[in-house]
Amino acid sequence: MVEFIKGPMVWIAFGVFFAGLLFQGIRFFGLTRRKERHLIPEQPKKTDGKKKRGSGATREGMWIQRFLWWFEKKFAPMISFAEKRIFPMRKSIIGTHPVMTGVTIVFHVFLFATPIFLLAHNELIASSLGFSLPGLADSTADMMTMVFLACAAFFLLRRIFVRRVRAITSMLDYLAWLITVAPFVTGFLAYHQLLDYEKILTAHIICGEVMLVLIPFTKLGHMIYFFLYRFFIGSEYSFGQGSRAW
Amino acid sequence: MSRQNDRAVDTKQIKKVLDKHKGKMKAYLTHCMHCSLCAESCFLFMSHDKDPAYMPSFKVINSVGTLYRKRGNVDRDTLDKIKKIVWKNCVLCTRCYCPVGVSVPDMIAFARGICRSQGVYPEFDDKGAMESWL
Repeated sequence: MVEFIKGPMVWIAFGVFFAGLLFQGIRFFGLTRRKERHLIPEQPKKTDGKKKRGSGATREGMWIQRFLWWFEKKFAPMISFAEKRIFPMRKSIIGTHPVMTGVTIVFHVFLFATPIFLLAHNELIASSLGFSLPGLADSTADMMTMVFLACAAFFLLRRIFVRRVRAITSMLDYLAWLITVAPFVTGFLAYHQLLDYEKILTAHIICGEVMLVLIPFTKLGHMIYFFLYRFFIGSEYSFGQGSRAW
Repeated sequence: MSRQNDRAVDTKQIKKVLDKHKGKMKAYLTHCMHCSLCAESCFLFMSHDKDPAYMPSFKVINSVGTLYRKRGNVDRDTLDKIKKIVWKNCVLCTRCYCPVGVSVPDMIAFARGICRSQGVYPEFDDKGAMESWL
């Protein structure tokens, strides 16, 4: 049984993971076939500058316009810096929730980077596939795991104690949290050999496999859907052109 | 009390509409991470002493979420509750922001459509005044 979990089950889990992601991608594009052209505003046609300046302006209007041109030219760099760097930041989610945003970014970066660049994982990849990715030093990976677990603890405490989060929390949220954190906790315990190493290592592999299998079909599917929603669906907050619609 | 209460709920019709938009709505409901980061983007949340009932995510979970959870088998009381959420607690200003990209206005508009199909919507009295909570 243990041999099966450490051997074929790993490949099955990876197979389900990648097939699931592919399935969700195809499903998304199937559901959003229609092009959403009407939502992309038409760009105004460029007109000749000279013509625009002289078009029916009064004398006072001309002076005001000239002053505004001068003002804009003089202070443009400062205005542009404030507009581009400071004001959007204050209005954005980073400005509203700097701690939560920071923790979320660190959490997600470490969630991917730690297992992918872990030396022990890369040794396994090298022995089975013949190639490996750059490996992190064990102490660095250990530190990253601890930071990741601290971020996860922050999310859990937030879910339990913050009124607004508690109001929308269901058992599935705790389950999603557990599925994500379990491989890291067991991996941490296995690396430090705090408990029975063999049992913890088996538990670590099972937790990893469960996470891989469940990612495409549960809440954790936002791993792929975040990019699909934010880049392909037309909306004010779209990162891309938003050329698709449901 | 209300003219709307006289009509029976056509659950078959609701199910049909729910099934038609299942792909989109279920995906949005599944991928809402219940993070509450959308809260501050709602001016009603901000102006009601940060009451969670006005959070965009709370509104979709308790309107469209309820409809899908009950598979359309809802009674008039449930529709009345949803009516308050999607009309009183939301003005559909479309300013809500979701980090994952869930379109809250789409879902609220969808819930409004289902309520309307069953004759549940804000009423006007004889003098043309809207219901007091609006």
